[in-house]
Amino acid sequence: MTFAVQTGLFFRRKLLETLRQPVWIITGLTTPALYLALFTPLLRSLAGGPGFPPGQVLDVFVPGVLVLVAFGAGMGAGWPVIWELDSGVLERLRVTPASRLALLLGTVLRDVVMFAVPGLVVTAIAAGFGFRLHWAGLPLLFLLLALLTAACSAASSALGLILKQIGGLAAVVTGVQLPLTLLAGILLPLSLGPAWLRVLGHLNPMYYAVQAARSLAAGSVATGAVGLGFLVMGALAALALWWGTRAYQRAMA
Amino acid sequence: MSSPPSALAPPQAPAPAPAAVAVSGLRKSFRVAGQTVAAVSGIDLTIAAGEIFGLLGPNGAGKTTTLRILTTLLPADAGTAQVAGADVLAEPAVVRRRIGYVSQLGGADKSATGRENLLLAGRLYGLSAADAARRCRELAEVFDLGELVNRSVRTYSGGQRRRLEVALGIMHQPRVLFLDEPTTGLDPQNRANLWDQLRRLRAAGTTICLTTHYLDEADQLCDRVAIVDHGRVIALGPPDQLKGRYSAGTITITPDVARTGLPALARELADAASAEASVTDNGAIRLTVTDATPATPAMAAVFGVLAGRRVSVLAASIGRPSLDDVFLRETGRSLRDAGAPGAGHTAGAAAQEVAA
Repeated sequence: MTFAVQTGLFFRRKLLETLRQPVWIITGLTTPALYLALFTPLLRSLAGGPGFPPGQVLDVFVPGVLVLVAFGAGMGAGWPVIWELDSGVLERLRVTPASRLALLLGTVLRDVVMFAVPGLVVTAIAAGFGFRLHWAGLPLLFLLLALLTAACSAASSALGLILKQIGGLAAVVTGVQLPLTLLAGILLPLSLGPAWLRVLGHLNPMYYAVQAARSLAAGSVATGAVGLGFLVMGALAALALWWGTRAYQRAMA
Repeated sequence: MSSPPSALAPPQAPAPAPAAVAVSGLRKSFRVAGQTVAAVSGIDLTIAAGEIFGLLGPNGAGKTTTLRILTTLLPADAGTAQVAGADVLAEPAVVRRRIGYVSQLGGADKSATGRENLLLAGRLYGLSAADAARRCRELAEVFDLGELVNRSVRTYSGGQRRRLEVALGIMHQPRVLFLDEPTTGLDPQNRANLWDQLRRLRAAGTTICLTTHYLDEADQLCDRVAIVDHGRVIALGPPDQLKGRYSAGTITITPDVARTGLPALARELADAASAEASVTDNGAIRLTVTDATPATPAMAAVFGVLAGRRVSVLAASIGRPSLDDVFLRETGRSLRDAGAPGAGHTAGAAAQEVAA
């Protein structure tokens, strides 16, 4: 009970912090919309060609954009954590009896909201342009991607607390961003690439999220891809939460 | 918690007050650039309930590390620490509920209002929303924050933020309050205000442990002081007792003689005043007097010698004993200089000891 109360208090604190910086809300909404507006025309010429998954362009592309939104919403968590470390906020909170996991979850849940709201807006816009909504898959799709956001957010917080410097964190995050997103087949399906690229893709946990997301977006709930996606994302989120909690226990400016 | 005075104890012995903090053999080192650097190398001290205790020392003496160990933020490498009746290593959760901590950085959340900061702190210590709100109003009044609590902390001045940060540390009425360099960066008026607040807290029964590198803060605010250097306690006791330990004051004389003649003159003046003498870098003679011949009669003796030798005096002053004398005596450095980066060992050379 107290754990739930503490998590709620930290969640409220982080949410208020975000709502007071409207810049992040605006870019959070415009970036995915721009992806849709600028990428869809490019992909139209590929649709139906060799190696391209069956379905309308938007049906293939929207789940990928949602994965990107989920990833982006989580990976930003590390920056404010470094600021909280430097300004003594974290030290003060660490002296209270509050649970370290609750402290971490406050940020994680805020990031899940920061994925879900733009994600729903993007889905609604895409639906207006022909993306077919499958009501059975959509809630599960958002649940799956919420796990991805949680994993990214907790991992980013842990990295921030361990590296302690904006520069170091930025180097790591931008360094992993390109290979992770490319090898997940988010923007361009991996089936377009050679065999070695597809093998590499299978080593990337995010690949399974994208595969499951495409299946769920198409309304196919009971597929192997969906099961595997939840398994990988669930394990990843659990691992990242454990790592993040540990980092919070030891964090020292 | 303390046992009643034993029948065998001397009749005058006061009942020992329960210790708020008991530290024994505390050690902590860090790995810095491949080397092991000892921050705390064997600290023992006891803080009685209801006193204001000061850890005085230069930057890098190990004060902050000690405080971080006592507040459960850092595990010690060796030694034990009991705080507010619980062991910091074995029962950190119990210790956390009973203590408050105001770090050097303060740690108020700048993107939130003062009230939001206070309410969150209160709720995290288990106060109900109503109790937290009541306590918030109470502290806003005590710390003279008024309408400020409704504004973003970003808009606060340094002194206002410091007051909020101390309020954050006592939202839950802790038994022991730790403050790390609480008045650094404050102007004299805000400093005096904070001292008053801390004295009021002590009067209400809170034990206070603070670190400082200000001599006057340790001297005027603290009931007892531990002078810390290189991770060790080099002197411990009430400020007056510490100051009187080595000196009853100092006399500083700048005679109008050549540098080469200073050591001989210093020895002669030391004999006349029954004091110890040293020659400072700027050509002055510093005499540390004792209770046997306090500063005023010693000054008369000094002037007697100087008049007899027809040496004119460019400047003369009497200094009251200070905690710096203790630090100087124990470390060979002045605490005033020791805080500056790199000043550690050069300052020692400035006060060339001359045999008395």
